[in-house]
Amino acid sequence: MTKILFTDKLDSCVERWRSAGMTVIGPVQRANSSVYGAVKSASELDLNLVLTDRSIKELFFPQSEPMLRYAITKAEINTDEFLPPSGPRIIFGARACDASGLAIDDPLFGWDYKDEYWFQRRNESVIVTIACTKADEFCMCTSLKLSPDSTKGSDILLRPLENNKGWQVEELTDRGREAFKSVADLLQEGSDPAAATVTVPEKFNADACAEWLKNPENFESRFWKEISARCIGCGSCTYLCPTCHCFDIQDEGGSFEGIRRKNWDSCSFALFTMHTSGHNPRSTQSARWRQRIMHKFNYFPGKFSANSCSGCGRCTRECPVDMGITETLQEISKLSQ
Amino acid sequence: MKIVDRHDEAPGVRTMKLEFQDPADHELFKETYRTGMFGLYGVYGEGESTFCVASPETRKEYIECTFRESGRVTSALARADIGDLVTFRGPYGNRFPLEEFYGKNLLFIAGGIALPPTRSVIWSCLDQREKFGKVTIVYGARTVADLVYKHELEEWMQRDDVELVLAVDPGGESPDWKHRIGFVPTVLEEAAPSPDNCVAVLCGPPIMIKFTLISLKKLGFDESNVYTTLENRMKCGLGKCGRCNVGSIYVCKEGPVFTAEEVSRMPAADL
Repeated sequence: MTKILFTDKLDSCVERWRSAGMTVIGPVQRANSSVYGAVKSASELDLNLVLTDRSIKELFFPQSEPMLRYAITKAEINTDEFLPPSGPRIIFGARACDASGLAIDDPLFGWDYKDEYWFQRRNESVIVTIACTKADEFCMCTSLKLSPDSTKGSDILLRPLENNKGWQVEELTDRGREAFKSVADLLQEGSDPAAATVTVPEKFNADACAEWLKNPENFESRFWKEISARCIGCGSCTYLCPTCHCFDIQDEGGSFEGIRRKNWDSCSFALFTMHTSGHNPRSTQSARWRQRIMHKFNYFPGKFSANSCSGCGRCTRECPVDMGITETLQEISKLSQ
Repeated sequence: MKIVDRHDEAPGVRTMKLEFQDPADHELFKETYRTGMFGLYGVYGEGESTFCVASPETRKEYIECTFRESGRVTSALARADIGDLVTFRGPYGNRFPLEEFYGKNLLFIAGGIALPPTRSVIWSCLDQREKFGKVTIVYGARTVADLVYKHELEEWMQRDDVELVLAVDPGGESPDWKHRIGFVPTVLEEAAPSPDNCVAVLCGPPIMIKFTLISLKKLGFDESNVYTTLENRMKCGLGKCGRCNVGSIYVCKEGPVFTAEEVSRMPAADL
């Protein structure tokens, strides 16, 4: 018998989780933008979106994060490390593409040196994903061998019931089981039929693209200049991407006291690879776009056995010049035929 | 780390000698540092900048670094005086495989401010001279003033177990310049070191490396016996921030030391 969480019990769940000391986070509207934000009650959650504007990434890898405070006196330098804010939290209403994005980045942050900022947050977060019953023209998870009900990166998968009555609960991990144990009495056993997950048509052939990208002859193809001609290098695709992880380290403050921060950066920015000498290995926007595509669909899979893309489509949805990964990979699919 | 000594090498180029403040940090450095590795040197409020450890792995009591004053961080480092504290993160990256060089002749080729990483290997070898065959150093700079480590060049010149070929670019000579005039690849071809049982270590600006590799090929050197360091822009040093990627390579983790054969497999446009 399937466990069911009925919609009218969600507020009690939120209350229960909050009183157990968990921060409850979910899709909310903030300053004309939809984000994953902390809520006090279920009524604040906006669960009818196709997708939040901003990805789940910033809950684990904030746009700007203090790493260290320094204070310098005549005799010595004193430093205090900032540690990631600690505390259990439950992210209710993640999308499968966002949860997958976290799983995709785990090996990167765990490779060799384990990034404690990332993993403390990962270990303290329960990801409750709701399978998608709607999509838009930009969604492309199926092209990346994922799906609207993918379990990758999730602790709980909820399948919406017909008529928005609630969700079927699939417990995927111990962390998820633990979080739902505290609301067990609010769940019901039942066999209510789940609504059909949305069908997302495949937009490109990722395997064929990977083969084309691996061929060294295509590195200098004119294709890169043509496909990226209208890219303005704003970097919004990288900032909104759930898997993009490039960052910079900057000092903020004066000579005697201040903070060292880790800030998002972007391979789309002209200065990203600029040497102090003036030499810039990727001095053109087309070289930078090539790097972005190569990194996501050739280099990253070579190293971590997964595409660095979960198909959320935000790169295209929010691009000010209507570019994006989808179009590029569609064109590569055609070239590789 | 505390600056215990510093001196100017050339216009805008300075060497600093740094000593560890924390014995535990020093022990860790002694355990891990091998020639070829790099560090992130910093001044709080200004940030961090990447350059090599210029001192050899045979002398781990201190760190020497040589840098050109060219940006915000290096300007702040240049302003720091003896007794001041600066930060050091590292050592990071891979190393020159010195054990594989045992019993072989060594050819060092450096251009301008790229002598510091080469110097780390040179002294690591000269401090255990008996393990290596013939040692040849080819070093060139734009002008006589731009040559770094002048006192050490003098020392190598005097040694009978080192052959030093010094050069400056045409027009960079002074009236009393007694050495060669010409670009490094040309001077190298004139010196014509034998590739037999020889390993070459090559450091320099990208354009010098490009043409020197052609010269080495003409001289009969196999790319697998030529080592170089890639000095990409780096920030985290830990293979995460994405800045130093050349193709799939994280230079900060998988480099900075590569054979010319490995470099030839990387996308040239990314270098």
